[in-house]
Amino acid sequence: MEDMSPVERVLRTFEGKPVDRVPVFCAMMESRTANEVLGAPLISSSASLNFPVTRFLLNSLGPVITGHFIRPILAGILHRRNLAQIEMGFDAVWAYYDDTWFFLDAKTIALTTGSIYNVIEDGHGNMSYMYRGPGITTPEEFDAWRWWPDADAIAQRVYRYYKKLYARYGERACIFGCGFYGGLQESMNWSFGIDKAPLWIRRHPDYVNRFLDIVEEVTTKTQAAILDAGAKVVVQMDDFAYKTGPFLSPKMIEDIFGERYRRIIRRVHDRGAKFVLHSCGDNTKLFDLFLDWGVDGFHAYEPTSNVNIVHEKKVHGDRATIIGGVGIDYLLTERSKDEEIVEKVKELVRELAPGGRFILGPAHSEDSLPAHKLRVMLNAAREFGKYPVVP
Amino acid sequence: MKQCLADVRSAVTEIRDENFMTLVQSCLEQGATPLEIIEEGLARGLDAVGAKFEEGEYFLADLIIAGDMVTRATDSLKEKMAPGLTGKKGKVVLATVQGDVHDIGKKVVGIMLAASGYEIVDLGVDVPASRIVDAVKRTGAGMVGLSVLLTTMVYGIKEVIAGLGEAGIRDKVKIAIGGACCSEHLASEMGADAFGESAIAAVRVFDGFSGAQGPPR
Repeated sequence: MEDMSPVERVLRTFEGKPVDRVPVFCAMMESRTANEVLGAPLISSSASLNFPVTRFLLNSLGPVITGHFIRPILAGILHRRNLAQIEMGFDAVWAYYDDTWFFLDAKTIALTTGSIYNVIEDGHGNMSYMYRGPGITTPEEFDAWRWWPDADAIAQRVYRYYKKLYARYGERACIFGCGFYGGLQESMNWSFGIDKAPLWIRRHPDYVNRFLDIVEEVTTKTQAAILDAGAKVVVQMDDFAYKTGPFLSPKMIEDIFGERYRRIIRRVHDRGAKFVLHSCGDNTKLFDLFLDWGVDGFHAYEPTSNVNIVHEKKVHGDRATIIGGVGIDYLLTERSKDEEIVEKVKELVRELAPGGRFILGPAHSEDSLPAHKLRVMLNAAREFGKYPVVP
Repeated sequence: MKQCLADVRSAVTEIRDENFMTLVQSCLEQGATPLEIIEEGLARGLDAVGAKFEEGEYFLADLIIAGDMVTRATDSLKEKMAPGLTGKKGKVVLATVQGDVHDIGKKVVGIMLAASGYEIVDLGVDVPASRIVDAVKRTGAGMVGLSVLLTTMVYGIKEVIAGLGEAGIRDKVKIAIGGACCSEHLASEMGADAFGESAIAAVRVFDGFSGAQGPPR
């Protein structure tokens, strides 16, 4: 079979058509990894935020200057991460540009959908963030929340980001576009608190519906913007499960989110594109439901959860594309040996590649993934992932 | 068993939270003691919820709602109980290790342990090893639960264990770990005593630790 372009290789894989080799996927890349690929910038993002003037401005005018000054800088950082993914030579890369956040102050980021994060340093000089808690704890706070997203304005900015990205790199890799960080359930969990969300569902279903209307609108409009910019695949993250199983029962998930996701995915399909769902944890009890919604590919299958990727390939591999397989808990860390990564790649190819519809890659993104470990994975997949694969 | 205790138990088991506190109050008025309501009603109801969770009938969200019901009822009943009757299974220090701010799993574990009769000292998230060691010494807790989600922060577990060793109290304290990146293998690699995969498993793990004396205060 002739060598294929990365885009062709990935799209044919989604269609279940024969390809020359197993495509290789890069999950969202963080700054540390990108710096290893491209060389670190002269001034780190963390140091920039720690300048006294920056701190003063963020503390006094955080929400205002986020839009005017910080977002363009962040767009540059994200673009750089995407460039690093492309330069490494992945067939498929997960890009994201989320414009629903702002600095409340120098130590706090908020999402306009109502969740709060600590600004942290990633241990390598880069700014990162970590979930602090819900921004909305009562119906009164919901009614008083004054930062709800302007979906149209956000979609315009998302479009501008992706237009440039696809124009520059759209031929070099199949770029999975993501324009809004949280999915429907995950956003609800963040904004109300994961330990309180079930109580909101039970006690304030009207507020939950109002919230989901807002998130669905942002999701739909940002995905439309990404498709307008040239995407062939959109990826939506929405962690429906954790280590041992779904957070809500499959019936509740269907009742609360089913029709909304069907609408979202139908709009993507109407544009001729594919829809990938990233859901962490053990989703074993949910895959049939996701397929019924119309999902084309699944990413995560975290080895640290109880999901069995080989079993899932056997059960759903004729209808869904399986993406991932390489753990970030050990294999793609400094603690592993290169030959262990190679062996894992060989094993995944042997178990999952027959029949197609498999894209190999990390099970997740991580602040500290070493680029050289990703490169070992990538090279091994290129070497041992050629079709025909003998099971 | 009094009928009202069975009613409380089945309300918890079936996660019927509407008018639940009225049911608990009515049980008190019918002569049940707070301890009876906790042990025969709430705790047994929660045991049944745990069993349904493990059988796959209930999900994490159900645990959270049941845990909220039991916590609210227990808090209200504790006010009516003599000191020393609560938390009789022992003290557990819970913390998310330094560098990690993930809180949710630890919170759910805390709710389930408290509802099961443990006294919980929750130190929160991003907790330095020295603070955990100090808390163990200050409270005399015999058990420690460490939460870690991020792969990069697993060495926080080792630091706590080393800290307890340096303080000369490692042999007085049992340590369990839990969280997304944890496993039996990691527990053994880090020198912890056990790994709990879920909040229900955590209760079993700490029940297995019961009897851990803790350091003298």
